[in-house]
Amino acid sequence: MTNAAMAGSLAAMPGEAPRPEPAPSPRGLARRAVDDTLASWRTKTGLAWIAIVAFCAVFAPFLANSYPLAVKMNGNWSSPAIKHLTPVDWTLLVVAFCGVITLGLSRLTFFRKLLVLLLILAVELPLAFLFVHPPIVDVFQEYRDLQRQGRLQAVIGCPIPYSPTDRLRDHPDARLTPPSREHLFGVDMNGSDVLSAMIHACRIAMAIGFISTGIAVVIGVVIGGLMGYFVGWVDLFGMRFIEVFEAIPTLILLITFVAFFGHNLYLMMAIIGLTGWTGNARFIRAEYLRLRNQDFVQATIAAGLPLRSILFRHMLPNGVSPVIVSATFGIASAILFESTLSFLGLGLIDEPSWGQMLNQAAGVSGTFTWWMAVFPGLGIFLTVFAYNLIGEALRDALDPRLHGIE
Amino acid sequence: MQQPLLEIKNLGIGFSTERGRIQPVRDVSFSIYPAQTFALVGESGCGKSVTSLSILRLIPEPPGKYLGGEILFGGRDLLKLPEHEMRSVRGKEIAMIFQEPMTSLNPVYTIGDQIAEAVTLHQHVSQDQAYRIAEDALHDVGIADPHRRLREYPHQMSGGMRQRVMIAMALSCQPKLLIADEPTTALDVTIQAQILELLRKLQRERGMSILLITHDLGVVAENADVVAVMYASRIVEVATVEDLFDRPQHPYTEGLFRSVPKLGRDTERLETIPGQVPNPARFPSGCKFHTRCPRTRALAAQSQPQDVVTIHTGEEQAKVMRVCQQDEPDLREVLPKHWAACHFAENFATAAQTVPQLEHRREVVPDMVDVSAGAAPGGSGHAGNFTVS
Repeated sequence: MTNAAMAGSLAAMPGEAPRPEPAPSPRGLARRAVDDTLASWRTKTGLAWIAIVAFCAVFAPFLANSYPLAVKMNGNWSSPAIKHLTPVDWTLLVVAFCGVITLGLSRLTFFRKLLVLLLILAVELPLAFLFVHPPIVDVFQEYRDLQRQGRLQAVIGCPIPYSPTDRLRDHPDARLTPPSREHLFGVDMNGSDVLSAMIHACRIAMAIGFISTGIAVVIGVVIGGLMGYFVGWVDLFGMRFIEVFEAIPTLILLITFVAFFGHNLYLMMAIIGLTGWTGNARFIRAEYLRLRNQDFVQATIAAGLPLRSILFRHMLPNGVSPVIVSATFGIASAILFESTLSFLGLGLIDEPSWGQMLNQAAGVSGTFTWWMAVFPGLGIFLTVFAYNLIGEALRDALDPRLHGIE
Repeated sequence: MQQPLLEIKNLGIGFSTERGRIQPVRDVSFSIYPAQTFALVGESGCGKSVTSLSILRLIPEPPGKYLGGEILFGGRDLLKLPEHEMRSVRGKEIAMIFQEPMTSLNPVYTIGDQIAEAVTLHQHVSQDQAYRIAEDALHDVGIADPHRRLREYPHQMSGGMRQRVMIAMALSCQPKLLIADEPTTALDVTIQAQILELLRKLQRERGMSILLITHDLGVVAENADVVAVMYASRIVEVATVEDLFDRPQHPYTEGLFRSVPKLGRDTERLETIPGQVPNPARFPSGCKFHTRCPRTRALAAQSQPQDVVTIHTGEEQAKVMRVCQQDEPDLREVLPKHWAACHFAENFATAAQTVPQLEHRREVVPDMVDVSAGAAPGGSGHAGNFTVS
């Protein structure tokens, strides 16, 4: 936006001597913080792991699927894997594809990129649910039988040829078998492949962290911002409101809601978000209390800018750093919440999640199946660890004492 | 007779604090005429900044409260305007520059973004046009290479440059009144002179009025047309700048002049006004200056005992006139076009109690100094690319 305006104003001054090439664009505070964060080894390690998880989340149906990627039948190629993609699969693929393209466009500001992506999501989601109708009943045996009968001329299978819901595939007594050549991470108590389930569970791990933290940040920033800016009665009531919410035990509330409304991922996200905003609100309030007396905020009021611009355009970027840091830790804790619930058997039933797999480690018969504990446990540990690494790197990058302010 | 641009009548402002109610502004009245520079002078804490903030209604309510009076601007009482109309006055018709240029700009946005936002808001122009206006504004305040400067962040500029940017931002919407709250206090002396010269030049070009808040009598002498001296929340003297410097009527003003160093006079040390500015929570009775006033003490030494009282100020005792200790003097026109609030100013007893209104403007001395010449520290020699007419 700025660049375009600059170009416009340059073009609008004909007859002026050509200017010397402008100095390399200076970095703003936010830019510097991002650059410093990215330069840290902790961020690189953390981001690498999260990139792996995100990749698994997006491409799960192509990484672990009982349906082959491509088959040749009667001389024609077809793709059972694509035929069985759900609307959610399609949405993830399209948004991820557009996301990579939009992020590559350097002309837009980060905020605009985010807006474009949200717009794409808003258009894509209803379209996917309207037009994508995968077969309702999964018959995993279909292509296996065809292959066994020799009616497929060629088969290209997935790297892990098992769906997480494809149970008892090899033989009826395949429950809880330890890792082997066919099942690298072993088989769970339902007889499905653990590695496949773990890859599909990446989705829940990513989604619950981002969505619930997103809700918490938005609510926290708005309420905390109003409190810190208006002080007085608004602050007094806001603070009591925060205390009320802080008194709610999130886990107990989650268990209660699951008991009443059943196992619902979105409800879970909403509850974690709606109870987790208080810390963000406190941070933002404290920052706004500091900022509201600063000259540049007085100057924005004196310039007649509207309240929205003062609060969110001018004050927010100067006070958001503690919230960004706490949000990265919030993502980690949301993942832990979901795992805890699933471990207690209150999580999702039909979709695999790491906590739910962990729950199976201690079997009904009192046996301990180590592969059910180690692999999902490692997944949770590494993801939470990765977010914490990024959070700490961000905190250091935003800490002026470690930098020396110009 | 011309209509005043801004007319403040009997303005009173209170603050409720933990130690009770204080009144930093009491019964303040003055008028500013178009193209006039009106200086408000006083020590820290005398209420001059609160007065200036109240014009834009920037006093936080609570704890602040407008206790009465009117602020008439273009026929409208600003104190009665709803907030959304007030917002279109701020920045567009009355702009303000602050004391501390290092902190008055938002560190996360470029200079261009910050000026252009106010411009797009008040002038309803496109982004491109707003940036062009911003560039012109930077050019007008003598910033070299404004096109490049637009894309710079505040931390890349010196204090003087930032104050120029603040002025450019304030003037980008062509306000009728500019409130400058100690615009040069935080700058070093050579830059101070440049900024003041710049303000004078812009005022001549655009005919706007300036309300100059300062405690620096040198700044007043060079810039002001009309001066009001504030002490302990009230205006104690109003006159044209020439009158005030020639014939100060209030002992506080006299004290201010005595505490300014003068060239060519062989003095061991500078005179000060004894004592401290009274705490607004514990103002003395009567005339707020009587605890520090040399005039009332001198008179008390020669007066009848029934006219004299003994007061305790801090560690010492002093004899002052009873009337000073008991009655607060109001502002009266003691000389033609010269107002003072002191029982023992010339003709005070017979003077009329009128509202100070002075349409005076000093004669403009053509000034040949090119402001932009010194305005390009680090501008790497591009200052020659344009000339200021």
